Amino acid sequence: MSQWITLAGNIIIIIGLVFMTLGVLGIYRFNDYFSRILITSKVDTVGFLTIMVGFIIKHGLDFFSGKIVLIVALYMITNPIATHAITRSAHISGYRIKKER
Amino acid sequence: MNFDEIVLIIVALLSVFELGRVLIGPTIYDRMLGFAVFSSKVIVTAVIIGTINERTFFLDIALIYGVLGFISTIMLSRFVERRGDI
Repeated sequence: MSQWITLAGNIIIIIGLVFMTLGVLGIYRFNDYFSRILITSKVDTVGFLTIMVGFIIKHGLDFFSGKIVLIVALYMITNPIATHAITRSAHISGYRIKKER
Repeated sequence: MNFDEIVLIIVALLSVFELGRVLIGPTIYDRMLGFAVFSSKVIVTAVIIGTINERTFFLDIALIYGVLGFISTIMLSRFVERRGDI
């Protein structure tokens, strides 16, 4: 039974790694800032969440994975606010979307 | 080289690629974005090290780093937005 659990956790971690790699790829691919931050913050948060869930599953239920849940909860709250703050400062100080050439 | 160490190495490599955007980024905001995402990857790395060594204080490090990364991002964006007088 525990062998199945670690296998399931490993698969979820691999999916999270794929999301994280897409997040890194997304940060280089787009030519404008706003589309870049839109993709990166979303995909990176999903990758972070998936990897943490994979580790929680692999580690079972105790205080250790309780702390991981706390970290995930903190990150789910703070990351959107942080990326919103960056984009808001970009918009206020006059950075506008470049028109498609 | 069990599975967790491979995941740790991959995440460490990804975080180095994030710094590429901090170097290249044409605008300040790309650099702040690269820094914010880099700090999230450092959190993942700390948690993975914590699970490998079965030490819980690594999770506290990741938690504190998450909070500090968030505060630094907010302060940086306020600094840039108000051109110096926070």
